[in-house]
Amino acid sequence: MESLRDKVAIVGVGYTPQGKVPGRSAISFHVEAARNAIEDAGLKVEDVDGILTQPSPGDPSNHDGQVMPWNAAQQMGMRVRFCSAQTTMGASAGGMVLHGAAALIYGLADYVVCTYGESPQSGRSGEASYSRGWGERAAFGWYNATAGYAMAARRGMQAFNTGPETWSQIAVAQRQWANINPRAAMYKEAMTREDYFSSRFVIEPFRLFDICLVSDGGRAFVMTTAERARDCRHRPVYVMGVGQDHPATNIIQSDFMAGPTGAKVSGQQALRMAGITLNDIDACEIYDCYTYTVELTMMDYGFFASGEGKDFFAHGRTAPGGKLPVNTSGGLLSEAYHMGFTPLTEAVVQLQGSVGERQLGPATGTKSPEIILVSGNGGVLQTHSTVILRR
Amino acid sequence: MSEYNKPLPIPTVEQEPFWRYCKNHELRMQKCPECGYIRHPAGIICPHCHSLAEAEWVKLSGQGKIFSFVIFRRAYDKAFAGDIPYAVASIEMEEGPRMMSNIVGCEVENITIGMPVKVIFEDVTEEFTLPRFKPA
Ligand SMILES: [Zn+2]
Repeated sequence: MESLRDKVAIVGVGYTPQGKVPGRSAISFHVEAARNAIEDAGLKVEDVDGILTQPSPGDPSNHDGQVMPWNAAQQMGMRVRFCSAQTTMGASAGGMVLHGAAALIYGLADYVVCTYGESPQSGRSGEASYSRGWGERAAFGWYNATAGYAMAARRGMQAFNTGPETWSQIAVAQRQWANINPRAAMYKEAMTREDYFSSRFVIEPFRLFDICLVSDGGRAFVMTTAERARDCRHRPVYVMGVGQDHPATNIIQSDFMAGPTGAKVSGQQALRMAGITLNDIDACEIYDCYTYTVELTMMDYGFFASGEGKDFFAHGRTAPGGKLPVNTSGGLLSEAYHMGFTPLTEAVVQLQGSVGERQLGPATGTKSPEIILVSGNGGVLQTHSTVILRR
Repeated sequence: MSEYNKPLPIPTVEQEPFWRYCKNHELRMQKCPECGYIRHPAGIICPHCHSLAEAEWVKLSGQGKIFSFVIFRRAYDKAFAGDIPYAVASIEMEEGPRMMSNIVGCEVENITIGMPVKVIFEDVTEEFTLPRFKPA
C-alpha cells in the first residue's frame, strides 16, 4: 500500500469563543471556526474547495436534523468539489485527516477545511444529545457516555488494578497545562490531588474530575498537499502517519473494557506508516473524555505495560516540565470539549511553535517537539483513530 | 398499577420479542440454528457465523455473573432522583451473552465483579416488564 507519509499538511487552525457562549447555534461555531482556520492559513474562502464536517446532532433548529457540511458551506458562501459529513464521534478529527488526505492526494480537492461546532451548554443541542437516554437503556436509568466509560473503568480496576490514584495524576497534570492556557475553561482553577479526591462521585467509579467538560464552541483546521503547504502562512505540520481500528461492539457486550482497545492496532499502523517508534514521540494529545481513557489509550499504544499506569503518570511525567507532555492545552478535561478537534488542533499549534506560555520547549521545561501523536476514540471505545504529526 | 413515570424501552423491531417474553416473565434470546451462538441484542444476522437463518428464541436460566457495573450518584432524569444511588451492570448470562440491567436487592456498596445474580421480573406498566437482577 502506498504510504500517506508527508504528502499532506495541516496549515491552519481556527478557534471560536468557547466554554459557555450564550445565544449561539451549533452551526455558527462551525462556520466561525472554519473562517478563522482559512484566514490562519493565509488563504481566502474561495481557495477552499473541500469541506468535511462532524455533524452536530440534536439541535432541532438545524434544517437537516444535524449540521451538515452543505449547511456550513452555504453560510460561508462556498461551492465545493469535495464535501462529506464524517463521524466516528471522538475519532472523527483523525478520520477527517485520512479522508481529507485521500481527496488531496487524488486531486479531488486542493484545500480541505474540517469543522466542528456544538452548543450543549447554552444552545438547543445539549438537552437532546448529551443527557438523553436512548433505545432500551434509559429504562434502566442509563444515561450518556460517562456510564459506559465508567463501566469500562470498573473492569480496568479489577483487571489491572488501576483506580483513582492513577486517574488523579492524569487529572492534576492536565489541570497544570490548563493553568498556563488562557483559552482553557480551567485556566484560573488550580487542582491538587486533595481537590481531586474530594470531588463528588457522579457515576462511580468516576468523580467529577474524571469527566470531561461540556463546552459550547467550535474548532476547525485546514489541510492541503505538502507542495501547496509551503506557500501558506505557517510552517507546515506534516501528516506522518494515520491509523484506525474500530472494535465496534457496544460496551455492555465488549471484550475491551480493560483493553486492548482500537488504540493498539491503530497505533501500530500509524507508527509503521510514519516509520518511527514510540521513542520518537515528543508529546501526546490523547483523547481524554475521561481520565481512564488516557490511561487505557497510552497503555494500548505501548507506552507502559498493563497495570503500570500509576508509576508512569507519577512525578509529573506528563505535566509541564515532564519528560512526555500529554494534553498540553488542558485537554477535554480542563480546556474545552470539542471532541477530537481539541487534541488534534493542539498538536498542530504546538508544532507550529508559537502557542505562548504553554509552548513545548524551553518555555515549559520540555523538549522542543518534532513529532506529536494524537488519538481519538468514539462511542464507548468503539472507534479509534491515531494521527502522527511532525514539523 | 400506580403511575410509572420513568422512560420505557424503545426496542428495535428485532428486539420486540425479547420484551414480549419479559412480559411472560421469561428471559429469551436469539440462538443461531447454524452454529448455536446466542446473541443479544437481537438482529437478523449471526455475528459469529453470519448466518441469516431464522433464530430461535431460547429460554435462558436467568442465572449470571456481574461482568462490570457502575453506580449512579447523579440523576440525569429527575424520574430517577428517588433511586440514587442505583447500580447498572453488564451481566454475563450463564449461556454466554451479556445484557444491561439493574442490580437490586442489595446495598450498592456490596456489589462486586463476578457476583452471581439471578433475574427477577418487574411489571412496570401494562405494556412493559423489566428484567432486573438480584444477588443469587
Ligand atoms: Zn451462527
